[in-house]
Amino acid sequence: MLHYLVRRILWMIPMLIGISLISFLIMHLAPGDITSTEAAFDPKSSEESRQKLRELYHLDKPIIVQYGLWLERMVHLDFGHSFASHQKPVFWAETDKDGNTTPGMIQEALPITLLMNIVGLLLTLTLAVPLGVIAAKQYGRWPDRSITLFNFIGFSIPGFWLSLLLMYWLGVIHPWFPISGLHSLNYTQLDAWQKAQDLLMHLFLPVVIPAITGLAGVTMFVKNGMLDVLSQDFVTTARAKGLSDRTVTYRHALRNALLPLITLVGLSLPGLIGGSVIAETIFAIPGMGKLFYDAVMMRDFPVVMGILTIGSALTLMGNLLADLAYTWADPRLRRGVMPQR
Amino acid sequence: MTHRPLPGMHFNCTTAHALAGQRLILGLLCSGLIACSPESEGPQTAALNQTYPAQPGGTMISAMPSDPSGMIGMVAGESASLAIGANLFNSLLKYDQHLDLAGELAAAWQVADDKKTITFKLKPGLQWADGKPLTSADVLFTWQLITDEKTHSPYASDYQLVTKAEAPDAQTFIVHYSQPFAPALESWASLQVLPKHKLAGQDIHTTNFAQKPLSSHYYQLKEWRHGEYIKLEKNPKSVLGPANIDQLIERIIPDPAAQFLELMADNIDSMTLDPITYARIIPSRPALQARLNQYKELGNSYTYLGFNLKRKPFDDVRVRKAINYAIDKQEIIDGVYLGLGIAIASPYKPGTRWSNPHLTPYPFDPAKAKQLLAEAGYTDTNGDGIIERNGKPLSFEVLTNLGNKQREKTAVIIQRRLKEVGIDTRIRTLEWASLLTNFIKPGDFDAVVMGWGLGLDPDQYSIWHSSQQGPGQFNFIGYNNPAVDQLLEQGRLEFDPQKRMQIYHDFAKRLYDDSPLVYLSAGYGLTAIHKRVQGIMHPVPPAGVSYDSQKWYIPEPLRRTQIQAE
Repeated sequence: MLHYLVRRILWMIPMLIGISLISFLIMHLAPGDITSTEAAFDPKSSEESRQKLRELYHLDKPIIVQYGLWLERMVHLDFGHSFASHQKPVFWAETDKDGNTTPGMIQEALPITLLMNIVGLLLTLTLAVPLGVIAAKQYGRWPDRSITLFNFIGFSIPGFWLSLLLMYWLGVIHPWFPISGLHSLNYTQLDAWQKAQDLLMHLFLPVVIPAITGLAGVTMFVKNGMLDVLSQDFVTTARAKGLSDRTVTYRHALRNALLPLITLVGLSLPGLIGGSVIAETIFAIPGMGKLFYDAVMMRDFPVVMGILTIGSALTLMGNLLADLAYTWADPRLRRGVMPQR
Repeated sequence: MTHRPLPGMHFNCTTAHALAGQRLILGLLCSGLIACSPESEGPQTAALNQTYPAQPGGTMISAMPSDPSGMIGMVAGESASLAIGANLFNSLLKYDQHLDLAGELAAAWQVADDKKTITFKLKPGLQWADGKPLTSADVLFTWQLITDEKTHSPYASDYQLVTKAEAPDAQTFIVHYSQPFAPALESWASLQVLPKHKLAGQDIHTTNFAQKPLSSHYYQLKEWRHGEYIKLEKNPKSVLGPANIDQLIERIIPDPAAQFLELMADNIDSMTLDPITYARIIPSRPALQARLNQYKELGNSYTYLGFNLKRKPFDDVRVRKAINYAIDKQEIIDGVYLGLGIAIASPYKPGTRWSNPHLTPYPFDPAKAKQLLAEAGYTDTNGDGIIERNGKPLSFEVLTNLGNKQREKTAVIIQRRLKEVGIDTRIRTLEWASLLTNFIKPGDFDAVVMGWGLGLDPDQYSIWHSSQQGPGQFNFIGYNNPAVDQLLEQGRLEFDPQKRMQIYHDFAKRLYDDSPLVYLSAGYGLTAIHKRVQGIMHPVPPAGVSYDSQKWYIPEPLRRTQIQAE
């Protein structure tokens, strides 16, 4: 087991290098660089100053040399400084010789996005699992039909549209929730309890809306898994033993039906740091999605590469964790017995 | 790089940050929910129309679309930094309400007889917010900073023309040029002076000063939550005397629809509007309109159809004029800008000194267009509706940048009008960086729909002089007229406003006759400000609605209660 783990982790290094090389090349295939996006068409700027910038950022060198320079810095875990954002450190805070600290860009955006996405994922799961079970148990009857219809509607509604509608309804007509932003303007004056409340109120709409629109997939996943399991022999056996319906459904069937969900959650781990550009733009939340989108539009290569590298590392970690969790959850895999189906 | 102070600043948004479909969203909101009207007549509505005496205090909240990366405008290179910086830092000179130069830090300035030396005399007793004196040493330091080899600034070129700068005493700052350079005065009105005692010996790009600046202007930075809001509070030591409003809050809300919802919920006092919000959405909501003042002002910018003059058939002035006559500018203004723009005849803001009053925009005259095209040898010989010369149809591609809906619509209207005179056009929209790098820079295009955002000095050397045609330079259309070159050179040498005016009127006339591009429209900058903010200059002066915003005030009965509690 340990041997397996070590091998998997060592394999991640060449994978990461490969991923970073491909992302680096693709990013540089896009026409233009920071000098064609920043103040590029202001008649007060000059081509000489732009050329100077290109030299300072090594953008005039061949791509492979630029990649080498980037890789060299990465070996020292130096994510570099943003081109566009005033040379802010890309990943983590830095302190200058006078003791002033400049926070890192990813460091600032990541906790917000993680918080939103984890709460959102938990919300989706706590809603989707019961709904999926009910739909499977009541298959073909009205609860199933209405859950399917609800999911279908949620899946079809464009998230940005629903967001604006709810912002209007719950923010303007009935001012129950803040419309946009992450903190109230008087946040620093609040006590800890009020701060938590304030944050919760601001996060309500941006978390609930993607959860509703993302519910459909997971619910259907759980429902189909349950349907598969409920028709299997061991469930019939359990019922024949005289176990109650509740015990059969939740102790025996559900546990087996949830196994594929582990893979799904594992695969969604990298998505947790991704963030959504549209939701973050509409709700004015300074998260990872907007950071990445703006960096791509500005051709801010260090930031793009920083996010991609951390993202791909997390994807690989997520896959590994999902595999490990699978082994833990399914005794057949742990003992090297392959599932029958 | 000329920036008026906040609030209600005008963003020159070339990079399209807007997500597609915002217009649609607002439209849906308004049609789908028109039945429910949340804005009830508040008890304040009557009070809002009352005029109160000016008084200090209060908080004004505005929205801006993007977070500045830092407060040092010269290296940040983005409008958000310069706009916030305009509340924090002063320049030597400024433009007054009639757009004439006036002193800001400088009490007086003098151009020497040979016009190569400018001497600035600073006002006495200037100080930074920390009480340290603001002297000519700070100005000299700022100049050294922007021209430093190691400084990454896109704006350095005007300051690099200074051959020698000196500060012989605390009140005097002298710059020497190798030859007279009239736009220098504008450059000294846009350079935000930074404190030497804070920045000396620091790396300008990584310094913490960009996050925690020390100011000299009306406001100082109080709190900045990145990507969320910026709080500025009154600087009691302001070199120009205190402002009225205690606190300015800029909330960073990228989506215009979300900004508008915040405005409806009365969470913000001011935002910039797009034409549909200004002309349709707000007027359809009387309760909202009752508590807002809406302003429109001409910006220093215009949209144009530019030709690649090095390519056929655009080397023929008759073809260029024909296209100019064939396009109905008023139609574009009405259709795309909902009437919130005007047709122009020179590359200057109409109504200002530099705009030549004797020129009128090319009228819409398809008959004349056809006649000019016929003179140029273009006729429809094969009856396919497209005119040809020597068997070659008159057909070209119009490029514009993706995501700018106004330009995309404009291109479609142009396409239709040109078709009517027998010219075939294809429209291609490209992402901004790609348009610039692959097409504009190598000069590989037929025609473009783009815009120019200009400064307040009339000098347009970098756009029109024939020497400015290299890759990445701004005369990318390849305009080459020796008479215009000479005028542009003269204009740079002449400091006397009257004589300069004559030069630039002459320049505009020659451009008009050459028709190297079609001026499509100059759009209005549109702003909504809550009526609780009083003392706004009316009518809007040439310098814009936010001119003298330090005199704005919020009368106590009209202030928000919640935020006031702090």
